[in-house]
Amino acid sequence: MNDRTDKLVSNALKVASILAGLTLWHVLAVYVVNDTTFLVSPMVVVRTAYDMLFVTGELYPHLFASSWIFFYGFALAIVAGVPLGFIMALNPAVRDYVNPWMTTLYSTPRIAFAPILLLWFGIGGGAKVAIVFLGCLFPILINSFYGMRVVNREYVELARSFRLSSWALFIKILLPASVPFILAGIRLSIGRGLTSVAIAEWFGATEGLGYLVFFAGQTLNIPTLFVGVAAFAVLGILGFEIIRRVEIYVTPWRKQSQGG
Amino acid sequence: MIWEILARLLLENELLIPPPSSVARSLWKLTMSGQLNKHFAATLIEFAYGFSTACIAGVVIGYVMGIYKRVDEIMEPWIATLYSIPIITVVPLIIIWFGIGMVSKVIVVFKITAVAIILNTAAGIKNLDPVWLDLAKSLRLSGWETTYKIRLPGALPYVITGMRLGVGRALLGVIVAELMASNAGLGYLLRDSSETWDSPKLFVTVFLLAAIGLVSFNLIKRFEQRMAPWRQSAEWSAE
Repeated sequence: MNDRTDKLVSNALKVASILAGLTLWHVLAVYVVNDTTFLVSPMVVVRTAYDMLFVTGELYPHLFASSWIFFYGFALAIVAGVPLGFIMALNPAVRDYVNPWMTTLYSTPRIAFAPILLLWFGIGGGAKVAIVFLGCLFPILINSFYGMRVVNREYVELARSFRLSSWALFIKILLPASVPFILAGIRLSIGRGLTSVAIAEWFGATEGLGYLVFFAGQTLNIPTLFVGVAAFAVLGILGFEIIRRVEIYVTPWRKQSQGG
Repeated sequence: MIWEILARLLLENELLIPPPSSVARSLWKLTMSGQLNKHFAATLIEFAYGFSTACIAGVVIGYVMGIYKRVDEIMEPWIATLYSIPIITVVPLIIIWFGIGMVSKVIVVFKITAVAIILNTAAGIKNLDPVWLDLAKSLRLSGWETTYKIRLPGALPYVITGMRLGVGRALLGVIVAELMASNAGLGYLLRDSSETWDSPKLFVTVFLLAAIGLVSFNLIKRFEQRMAPWRQSAEWSAE
């Protein structure tokens, strides 16, 4: 079998698998379960999505609300996480001081902080942004730290032999060398950030995709629930792709590693 | 100490930051009444069931996907879909389907862990150094022997990476599921204390969760170092 037929078979199998799965789902929903408060056919989900996007347009406010929370928390996490990671990498005293806190905060299931943040910031936007911030911060912080730590020693020695000032060393050597790591951290934090948006909106919200999903769950509105879940998945994939493109563009010398 | 004085002098409001003494008192009360035990056990059992079944299923499915390219191609779209959906948003659906009891939480844990292990096991089998397989051939190992002497040990570091990723996420998943609908478990305690504005109890729960997170994080790190010592374990597992 040559390469082209192999690829053809492979794609055909994937398409067949998706179609078979959807058919099974449809049959299960319509003929076996037959209860719209339990499971609906994928066709109904698509129709609902179409309605919410183009007819009533009711998906947009939720989409925007969630995007803003995500964007603020995410941007703050980058602004705070990258410099903090650098400082930790360059200054052992700070590292020793921050390290135990970081380990603890990072390994705690982050939903545990949600009620406390809610208590401190109220149920407005502040608490939600804080929850997303906390969710995104650590992958970015840890990767910035790590990226700066593993810079090739030869580069640093080269810089020394050129008598670069420490500022020039930072700008010309350390920063570019750690960019791939920072971007990897940012990519990892997208998924965590979206999960955090959902968590934040579960605790008292009146709009947003998370609110949409949970409200639909409570009112047994299965089609809307599926649409909300799909919206989250699409946002996640989109964000991941964007960062991957940026990675290829910014660090073309690096072979792209598979995420996951 | 600093925390106690700060909380006592500056805030005078138990709601925002309860002083450590009242947190300790709350912990004592919860332990003595056996409540803490009950919730702790509930969460642990849910986690253990979901995690152990997911490890077995994940390794088997991941192995088959790694060996047979066609199976991989058939499964891939679905695994990728499952992987890209934030689990939190599926929890309401799982609760509708499986009720508010233990089953739904076990399924949440199972789903999270299984996907992580499947992906990593398949990657491990695929990335196996072909030299080893040649070695197996020249030693005339049977198919079964090749599997458990060459392929599985070779993929082990990947499997453990999958488990490590699974632990943190599954812990989050089980807490979320308990928070949304249940009558026992640490997630329930979290919700209960936050809704009744019982800050000391809330802080007790948060500290417990932090402790569980730390312990599981270190356990899996140890486990990784012991099972795959030739692989330098990343100090920080980026999720």
